[in-house]
Amino acid sequence: MSKQLIHVQLLLGEKVFALNGQPIGRLEDIRTEKDRGHFYVSEFLVGSYAMFERLAALKMGRMLLGVFGAKKNEGYRIRWDQIDLSDPHHPRLLCEVDELLPLKREQYPS
Amino acid sequence: MDLVRDCLDKQLEDGNKRRMGRVDGIILELEPDRPPRVAYIELGVKTLMDRMSTRLGNATARLFKRFNVDPEPYRIPWGKLHVGLNKVTADVEAEKTPALEWELWLRKKVIGRIPGA
Amino acid sequence: MKKIVEIALGIVTSVGGFLEIGSITTAAQAGADFSFQLIWAIVLGGICIIFLVEQAGRFAAVSGRTLPDAIRERFGSNYFALLYLVLGLVSLLVLAAEIGGVCIALELATGIGFQWWAVPAALLIWLVIWKGTFGVIEKGVSMLGLVTLCLVVGAIVINPPWSQVVKGALPSLPQHDATHYWFVAVSILGATISPYLYFFYSSGAIEDEWNEGYVGINRVIATGGMTFGSVISIAVLILAAMIFAPQGMKMDHYTQLPQLLTPVFGYWGFWLIVASVGIACLGAAMEITLEIAYLTAQGFGWNWSENQHPSAEARFSAVYTITIILGALLTVTGIDPLKLTIFSMALTAASLPVSIVPFLFLMNDYSYVRVYRNSWFSNAVVIVVITLAFVLAAVAIPLQIFGGG
Repeated sequence: MSKQLIHVQLLLGEKVFALNGQPIGRLEDIRTEKDRGHFYVSEFLVGSYAMFERLAALKMGRMLLGVFGAKKNEGYRIRWDQIDLSDPHHPRLLCEVDELLPLKREQYPS
Repeated sequence: MDLVRDCLDKQLEDGNKRRMGRVDGIILELEPDRPPRVAYIELGVKTLMDRMSTRLGNATARLFKRFNVDPEPYRIPWGKLHVGLNKVTADVEAEKTPALEWELWLRKKVIGRIPGA
Repeated sequence: MKKIVEIALGIVTSVGGFLEIGSITTAAQAGADFSFQLIWAIVLGGICIIFLVEQAGRFAAVSGRTLPDAIRERFGSNYFALLYLVLGLVSLLVLAAEIGGVCIALELATGIGFQWWAVPAALLIWLVIWKGTFGVIEKGVSMLGLVTLCLVVGAIVINPPWSQVVKGALPSLPQHDATHYWFVAVSILGATISPYLYFFYSSGAIEDEWNEGYVGINRVIATGGMTFGSVISIAVLILAAMIFAPQGMKMDHYTQLPQLLTPVFGYWGFWLIVASVGIACLGAAMEITLEIAYLTAQGFGWNWSENQHPSAEARFSAVYTITIILGALLTVTGIDPLKLTIFSMALTAASLPVSIVPFLFLMNDYSYVRVYRNSWFSNAVVIVVITLAFVLAAVAIPLQIFGGG
């Protein structure tokens, strides 16, 4: 069976949609783990926090978001089996939003 | 390791610390019921253009083909890479890869012919 | 002793890129049109560029990476493409203005029209970059640039009303021609806060193999060099204010440049101004050419260094060669160098946000700068400079249209 290839750089910034069709945020990074010499995707990181972390500006970003009255939880961690990437331009959740883990500060080691 | 933060757009060097470009793209391999595997990195102008817009990427590919230049990006298997701090090292020899095709062509056909090069 | 020499050389070379046709022209125009009133714009621009250059140098010394490297790595290829397009275009126009400046100096010296000097000037610039090393370009041309000190001497000898000079260092509202006043202020800021200055500086730090041990030296060089450059710009403004303003003369043609020093030094004043303009613009042209080549090579991850043979980095060499050709082409067409200069300074001001915003992120990125991160004060200054940059970006082009006179 031929394998589907996904370009990470084209996934970057794409809106991720919940089961009800509502966007939950943009895909900002992809976390991987090493297993027996290969790297596998463990989580997809979605939301403003993930973007600020990528820019190494999490502290500044949280402050800015706070100033503009944004919600405290500005991101999600989506496990690899909770997302459907068959259409890379339209990634969709395979579970309810409530089942996702929120992004937290302590998950970003400096 | 976070792919975008730690790998994408980072400087790519060969085993001899020679700069050979940047990681313009990363490719995941999807298989049913298994976590996606990081398979390759990609270098190339078309990859960069695709990031701006698919139309631009396709136009770039057509332009390259018009001049008999292969538009396909150069891929390096993930197994040959080591991701460091703000840098990725590939277990290849840069001058023997398509990454330096333009560099070598310019050196041979243009720059190298100018006195004092 | 070695450190003192290094610092002294560093300060001199920093002046090299600062004083160029843009800063000379805008300062002269400010002095002619508004006497000492716009000294504050040079002071403000000088303070901003000190902080930006110091941070660019610190970043490179500690991280071993240049600004374009880090901008591509942190902000991605699309943001870099925007930066490259904006900076590349603006830098090319400024380069054309600088080549124009060299040609003006040669026209004044020989009487042969400036367009005819475009190709020889471009060839000279290319030859020095092709054959020379970074040290030759940075230090050699900059040492020659010490001739611009004649402008400071001239400004002292002409004995301006120093109380008015000091008063001019404080911001004030225009007494006449408000639109033109603010346009000239914006142009001065565009000439002073030039992105090529801090981008070139960060690449230069890598070329000179700076490391953490240079953080202190960098601070002295950035502060000293940019201050020195600002003082020379102020000297030009003072001369124009003393010579043009009382006669109600406008500075609107490059043939007026010698008049800045001939009243002070007579016959030698002419040759001093010709040498000052020629050498300052030559140095700036080389820096801008290299900056465009560095930006390209670093953004795409190519091999680059002015210290290597051209054939070892063929793409880098090809880029600076093409850049010089494009810059010279604009001068060959006969575009008035003065008008081109004023326009490119306004455009520089309009493009500032794209290159300054990344500072706020990069100078606080532990993976690059580690313990040498910005203090709260430096971050506050960067935020002020970013705010100023956005204001300039919004007003530069409208002012060019309505107040460019």
